Amino acid sequence: MIQVQNLHKTFGSFTALHDVSLDVAEGELLALLGPSGSGKTTLLRILAGLDFADTGSVLFDGGDATHVAARDRGVGFVFQHYALFRHMTVFDNVAFGLTVRPKGSRPGKKEIAERVHHLLSMVQLEGMAGRYPSQLSGGQRQRVALARALAIEPKVLLLDEPFGALDAQVRKELRRWLRHLHDELKITGVFVTHDQEEALEVADRVVVMSQGRIEQIGSPTEIYDNPATPFVYQFLGNVNSLECRVRGGEARIGDLRLPAPDYHGVEDAPGQAFVRPHDLLLSPAGDGVGVLARVLHVTVLGPVVRVELAVGDQVLEAETTRQRHSELKLAAGQSLRVWPRQARFFLKDGWPEGKGFEVGGELMGEGAGI
Amino acid sequence: MPGSNLNSRQESLVSRVLLILAAVIVLALFLLVPLVTVFIEALSKGLDHYLSALVEDDALASIRLTGLTALISVPLNLFFGLTASWCIAKFEFRGKSLLLSLIDLPFSVSPVISGLVFVLLFGLQGWLGPWLSDHDIRLIFAVPGIVLATVFVTFPFVARELIPLMEEQGTEEEEAAVVLGAGAFRIFWRVTLPNIKWGLLYGVLLCNARAMGEFGAVSVVSGHIRGLTNTMPLQVEILYNEYNFASAFAIASLLALLALVTLAAKSALEWRFGVRRGH
Repeated sequence: MIQVQNLHKTFGSFTALHDVSLDVAEGELLALLGPSGSGKTTLLRILAGLDFADTGSVLFDGGDATHVAARDRGVGFVFQHYALFRHMTVFDNVAFGLTVRPKGSRPGKKEIAERVHHLLSMVQLEGMAGRYPSQLSGGQRQRVALARALAIEPKVLLLDEPFGALDAQVRKELRRWLRHLHDELKITGVFVTHDQEEALEVADRVVVMSQGRIEQIGSPTEIYDNPATPFVYQFLGNVNSLECRVRGGEARIGDLRLPAPDYHGVEDAPGQAFVRPHDLLLSPAGDGVGVLARVLHVTVLGPVVRVELAVGDQVLEAETTRQRHSELKLAAGQSLRVWPRQARFFLKDGWPEGKGFEVGGELMGEGAGI
Repeated sequence: MPGSNLNSRQESLVSRVLLILAAVIVLALFLLVPLVTVFIEALSKGLDHYLSALVEDDALASIRLTGLTALISVPLNLFFGLTASWCIAKFEFRGKSLLLSLIDLPFSVSPVISGLVFVLLFGLQGWLGPWLSDHDIRLIFAVPGIVLATVFVTFPFVARELIPLMEEQGTEEEEAAVVLGAGAFRIFWRVTLPNIKWGLLYGVLLCNARAMGEFGAVSVVSGHIRGLTNTMPLQVEILYNEYNFASAFAIASLLALLALVTLAAKSALEWRFGVRRGH
C-alpha cells in the first residue's frame, strides 16, 4: 500500500534518515519503534507530506507521491500534543476536514453533522460536541483528534507518539482501544513510539530504528525472540551484555566456555554475548554446573525475583521465580552457579571497538537441567 | 523570639508603605499632574474658547491630517506586521534574523533621524529628489512624506506583538489543517487569525496611539505649512510658540483623551487576553 524507497534526509549536518526503505501492507498496523533521534518521526512526517526527503521516493498504491503536498495525500495525522483548533468546538474540529473541501465535493450541512456525530460516538464522546478543547482531558482531546483525522476517510492513518502526552493508565487504555478501532475500521495505520511495550502490544509488525537506520522489521514475537542486531537486543527488554572471545567454535566469557557452532571457522575474534535475565539458570554452588557467582542483591518484584550477581569482575542480572528463590534461599553474599540456557553472540568487526556486527551463533544449554 | 518577629514585621510594613508612597508620588508628579494640567490649561479661558479653538481652521486641518495619517499607516502596518510575523513564526528561511533586526530598526533609531533619512532620500536635494520633481511628485513637505515617516516609525508595533505570540503557539495547528486538506488562505483565516486576534488588536491599538502622537519624524518631513502639513502634535507646537497657550492645550487635551482611551482599551484587552507582555 505504501512503499518507501531509499529515503535520505538531512537537517543541516545531522542525518535523520540513511537510505531507508520500507513497505507498509494494506490494512496493517505498523509501529515505528526507536529512541529519540532514531528518525522515526521524520519518516512519519515524510509519509504525511509535512516534510520532504532529500532523495528517495514514497509511493502510495504504486503512484508516486514523493512530491505531493500534504493536503492532497488523503492521509490522517494525529499529533502527540493533539493540535486541536483551540478556538473551535469539538464539533467544528471534527468537521473541519469536511468543511474545507472545495464546493464540488463538500457534503451538505446535514450530512456533515451526521458524520461528525457518528465519529464522536465511535470515539465515545457523544454529547461533547459543544465543548472546547480546553474543557477536555488529555485522553478526550486525543480521541477528538482521532475523530478529526478519520473524518476525511483517509487511506492511511499516521500517529506521532499519540499517547506520549498522557499518563500511564490512560495510555494503556487508549492503546488497546486504538487496536480495537483499527480492527473494526480495517484502516492502514502507522504509529511512532519509543515505548517498546506499546509497540509489541499493539502493532502487527514493528520497525525498529536507530540513528536513521532500520535495525529490524518483523512481528512483535519475531523481533523479541530473534533480535537481528545488538541494538535490537538491548532496546527490547532487559539483557545482559558480555564481552567474549570467539575461538575455534567456542565463545569464552571469562571462565565460561559456550559452544558457538556457527563460528567454527573463526580463529580468534572479540565478540559480544547477549543473555536475557530469565535465561540465566541458577543452581546451588555445590552442583558443579556453570560458573561460580556471588549474589550481590536480591529484589522481589511481585511474581519475579531479580538477582544481581558478580561473575568474576562482571555484574549480571538474572530473573527467576519466587519458587526458585525459596528453593535456593537466595541472599546477598551467597555463592551460586550460573549457566545461560540461551545466548546469542555477535562478532565485532575490527579492533578495538566493533563497528559492524554479524549475526552470531546460538547456544542451547545442556547442563543444569532446570 | 516573638518580640523581634513583631519588630521585623512592623519594619517591613513601614518600608512597604514608604515604597508605595514613593511610587505614588513619582507617578503623580510625572504622569498625573501633567495630564491634569493639560485639561486645566485647556479650559483656562473657558469652555467657549476651548471649543472655538478646536473648530478653528488650522486646528481642524491638523485633526483631519492626523486622522488621515493614522487611517493609512495603521492598516498598512497591520498588513506588514501580520505578514512579517507569519513568515517569521511559521517558516524557516535564511535571512530570518536579518528581518527581525530590520523590524526593530525604527525602535533603535531616533525619530528625528528617521525623518531626516526621508528628507535625504526624497527631498529636493536628496538622492531621488531630481527624479521626483521631474515627475512632479512631492513627498517631503507634503502629506505623503508625513504618512511615509509615520509608517516607518510605527512599523514594529504589530510585528513585535505578534511574533512572540505566534512563535509560542507553534505550527502544529496549521500542520493539522494542512493534512486535513485546507489551502493556505483557509488556514490563515480559520486557524491562525482567530488564535492571534487579541494580540493583533493590542498591536493595532499601540500602533494607532503612536501614529497619532508622533512628533519627531513628522516634524522633520512636514515643513510645518499651516493648514496643510501640520498634524495635531505639530499644531500644538506652533500654537505654543505663539504663546497661544489655551488653544495649544485645547488640542493637546484631545491627544491626552486619546491616550486615556488607549490606556483603557489596553487594560481591557490585557484583562481579556491575560498573560505575559513581551516588551
